[in-house]
Amino acid sequence: MSTRSKRGWTRRSAMTAMSAAAFMSSTRLGWAAAKVAPITIVINQSPWFDSFRKTVELYEQESGNKVELDVNPFAGSLEKQRNSVRASKGQYDLLIMNSGWFAEMYFGGFVEAITDIEPGFKLDPDVYTLGDTIYFDPAKKTMTPAGKLMSMPISPLIPMLYYRGDLYKEAGLKAPDTFAELEANARKFHAPPKMYGIVQRGARGPHTVAYDFYPYLYGFGGGIFKDQAAADYSITLNDEKGKAALDYYIRLAREAGHPKTASLDQAEVIQNIVTGKTAHMITVIAAWSQMDDPTKSVVVDKIEFAPPPHVPGVPTAPGLGHWLGGISKNVPNDRKRATVEFLRWFQTKDAQVAATKAGGIPINAAAYRDPVADERKYRWMKPLAEALKHSVNIYQFPEASEVIAVLELGLNRAIAGEITSTVALNSMADEINGIMAKYNYKTGKLEPLK
Amino acid sequence: MSVRSLPATPAGRLQPRAGGERAGDRYGDDPAWRWATLAPSLAIMLALSVLPLLNLFWLSFNNVTWSGGVATWTPVGLTHYKAVFSDALFRAGVWNTTVFALGAVTGQMILGFVMALYCSRIQRGRVLYRALFILPILIPGIVVGAIWKLMLNYDFGLANQALGLVGIEPVDWLGANETALLSVILVDIWHWTPFCFLLFLAGLESMPRDVYEAAHMDGASGWQELLHVTLPMMLPTIMVTFAFRIVLAFKVFDEVYLLTGGGPGTATEVVSFTLYQRFFTEDRVGYGAAMSIIVIFLVSVLLVLALSARRRSETGP
Repeated sequence: MSTRSKRGWTRRSAMTAMSAAAFMSSTRLGWAAAKVAPITIVINQSPWFDSFRKTVELYEQESGNKVELDVNPFAGSLEKQRNSVRASKGQYDLLIMNSGWFAEMYFGGFVEAITDIEPGFKLDPDVYTLGDTIYFDPAKKTMTPAGKLMSMPISPLIPMLYYRGDLYKEAGLKAPDTFAELEANARKFHAPPKMYGIVQRGARGPHTVAYDFYPYLYGFGGGIFKDQAAADYSITLNDEKGKAALDYYIRLAREAGHPKTASLDQAEVIQNIVTGKTAHMITVIAAWSQMDDPTKSVVVDKIEFAPPPHVPGVPTAPGLGHWLGGISKNVPNDRKRATVEFLRWFQTKDAQVAATKAGGIPINAAAYRDPVADERKYRWMKPLAEALKHSVNIYQFPEASEVIAVLELGLNRAIAGEITSTVALNSMADEINGIMAKYNYKTGKLEPLK
Repeated sequence: MSVRSLPATPAGRLQPRAGGERAGDRYGDDPAWRWATLAPSLAIMLALSVLPLLNLFWLSFNNVTWSGGVATWTPVGLTHYKAVFSDALFRAGVWNTTVFALGAVTGQMILGFVMALYCSRIQRGRVLYRALFILPILIPGIVVGAIWKLMLNYDFGLANQALGLVGIEPVDWLGANETALLSVILVDIWHWTPFCFLLFLAGLESMPRDVYEAAHMDGASGWQELLHVTLPMMLPTIMVTFAFRIVLAFKVFDEVYLLTGGGPGTATEVVSFTLYQRFFTEDRVGYGAAMSIIVIFLVSVLLVLALSARRRSETGP
């Protein structure tokens, strides 16, 4: 495997090679893949990337096939993908697409259905379909299993509740199931500036505060749109449930959280928990490996995991922030078939157990039933498997980035106290309604909140 | 006789020949020759600057969508231009960029001038001071962002730890409306003052010494020398430096992107950041093109104003 990363690999090449060799020697899959053309994968530099790289190295070793990784920052990966798929000949065979932009690739006709390339391809029945986002019906523009298999999950990321198990044990508490329990527990541990009850993300970014707000919004039974599956994009963000969710988020920040929530991004939130300064955070599961890394964390073996809380009568509702692998339409057929071979291998239970051991998040439910899930190190797997069943696909249309930009600004201003939650929700609803109307979606809006 | 063999004067002009015929006329007056020699440069300039600008201009009157791997351009007239002026983020960006540019450039000019003055007058350690003063400009913007983000971190940053030592409460440098833009301005001053320093130092070192000697003999004090000799003679350099810096400051992006992401709210939103979001993140290329044209126009106006001020300063009242 070769990689082309702006950050480069030379610095840690020796250690990486040694750890990769050790990982490979401990993980033999007995897989016999067909010899196929070399492929190029465009991917972002994320906390889970290293596990993906090791998994790809394992594939190369097992199959003898070659894979090149083009590694980029989040926004840079999207730009490279757009440039590649819009050219007459694509540069990348496999596009690692985020939940924020995979719809753009589907609707634009830039990725080819896996089953169109290899009609005999069978999706492993244990692979998570992640809100059916791996399917797409180009005629109806819907994402349901009735459509074609367009992509393969690469990393099923959702936010999870991280909490201090040691403190909970001392206090005789159980993991919070509802928002009321979370608030009570956060208040109990809140002793600033030494310890915050909870640390939340509030900074404005490409998909920052909005992503962390989704489990609250949907966990309160709210939502941004009335019914996306039925193509009804009427805005419901500013209903009573949305107001309750935003008020709760702000109250938690002000009364049991970090004093500067409005400026915290993900790195700072994680920094707070690994330095022992917070009892809770709700953050993407990809951060799990940092909790038990003694070089980064003072809370090794003290963090436990649970699905994000919810209100009674509503299931946990983590928003999907997942990554899907789609095959470019504008690359030669032999490379498309080679990419299918890689995905055929990648979806197996054995490959996913290996990915887990390399620090990744498995996409195959069978991996969560494997004995590995009972090991202390992988204690996040069972709660994650539970939460994944309820994960919510927030956007099913290609113009999502415009809606996200509106949410990022409005939520950040509300959390910073620049505007009230009512003003924020009403103004965001107005703007989102304008965006949906501009693109001719069926939309509408509620009476403004008073 | 070949006119091309005539030697040039020190001023670079060719001597007139007897009878009034000037050297070089044979080719210089030939329009075909003139165009033929200019053509390669013109073609390169057209290809690299004018054509992309024209393309951007044309793009600003269209919506572009990609479907099935094909780009579709839909004319929308002036729609994008109208929308830009009602874009709250753009308006906030223009205001913040103006405050940022004026604040940062003023700070850089004053500090850069003081440092250059100091460096031009010392005898010992001149090279060391120069090397130290220009260090920040050698650091890539992305590294500057990372360094200062860590230094200004609320919980773990060096700035708040220093304040804590003297019993002052931590400050949310990058997260509070009152301090975020100021923090970005200070970081920019730190980063770009060496640029002003270098230009000012070059200007100061090329000034004729006899003027200072005359002032000295007339009994001028240090302040009088500065006010009545140095500053007037440095005015063209100051204006050029100001023009360069104000244009560059108006295009600020990396520091804002890395330090605050435009927040909190719109406290540090700058036009380049809005442009980036609309053009790239949201993929609204037609709208982003219209915004780009407006930004190019604003920067050009600034440049023209700065250059005309320079010309006025050179010609005097």
